[in-house]
Amino acid sequence: MTERVTLAREDDGIAVVTMRDEANRNAFTEPFVDELQAVLRAAATDGSVRVILLRGLPGIFCAGAHQDLLLELTSGEVDAADILLSKAVLDLPVPSIAAMEGHAVGGGLALGLCCDVLLMARESRYGCSFMNMGFTPGMGITRLLQDAVGEYLAREMMFGGEIIRGARFEARSGVNHVLPREQVWPRALQIAKRIADKPRHALVTLKANLSIRHRRMFEETRTLEAAMHRLCFAQPETRQRILENYTRPEPGREGETP
Amino acid sequence: MAAPTKEEILKIVKQHLADNVEDMDESKFDPAKSMKALGANSLDIVEVVSCTMRDLKIKVPRAELAKLNNVNELVDLLHKTAVEKEQAA
Repeated sequence: MTERVTLAREDDGIAVVTMRDEANRNAFTEPFVDELQAVLRAAATDGSVRVILLRGLPGIFCAGAHQDLLLELTSGEVDAADILLSKAVLDLPVPSIAAMEGHAVGGGLALGLCCDVLLMARESRYGCSFMNMGFTPGMGITRLLQDAVGEYLAREMMFGGEIIRGARFEARSGVNHVLPREQVWPRALQIAKRIADKPRHALVTLKANLSIRHRRMFEETRTLEAAMHRLCFAQPETRQRILENYTRPEPGREGETP
Repeated sequence: MAAPTKEEILKIVKQHLADNVEDMDESKFDPAKSMKALGANSLDIVEVVSCTMRDLKIKVPRAELAKLNNVNELVDLLHKTAVEKEQAA
């Protein structure tokens, strides 16, 4: 069986975490979440790593929770384990870079936003699909999105659920780089190389400092998000909306204009 | 209010396509083609279809939308749904 998430070394001190579950479009299934957790842990505990790059498939960075997982949540039987993914990324001891070449939706976008540096593709789409399905946003995105796109656009995205083309974030958001898709990875690598030539002890020290605000915001909001979820997932309407409005990005070389 | 004609629906779809696919060449627009062939990716298509359905105040199940091959088929399905809704009212 092919791995859903892999860990590789690109260069000295650079670790690359690649989400490559084509069959499930990089959506959070139980085994995917487990593998990603394990890979993040391996990268986090490796003393030779000075920067971590997070990337997905060319067409899909991450689709967020799998529809089946969301439907299980409506039955009230499981807890959302994907919240731990946000924490795992926020807690990485070295700088992290999200190279979001492909679409990032819902929890998939939240995952990227937990990184220190954000890159998006002009052609890909990014958004909060949560409310389309009748439940409130999670994985910390209610606090993280504002920093990336600005307070008011974040509210529009969270209330309205529009999945927006990367080009719209260009030059008007806190996203580091919005580039044509094929330029995202080379640029991410370039940034990683610049970071990786700094001493690890200094990077770890600075990261611990710079990540305080997001880690604190996340701890605050996860309790609130969980309370909102309990309320929303208990509504019978939510199940129907998940069935009708689940956003399913397709993998492959899409988005490249023929 | 009468149900919109196919021409009116096509106009709405085309407008949303133009709004959502920035690199689409409108002069080459051909409703016999799929939206993908016109340069739209999967999430562009989701956005175009949901915006159009919102304008028309109708809902078509995703499973039915998934069977469509081109813009004309989408317009036909949306038209059929709008007419049925009109008759039911």
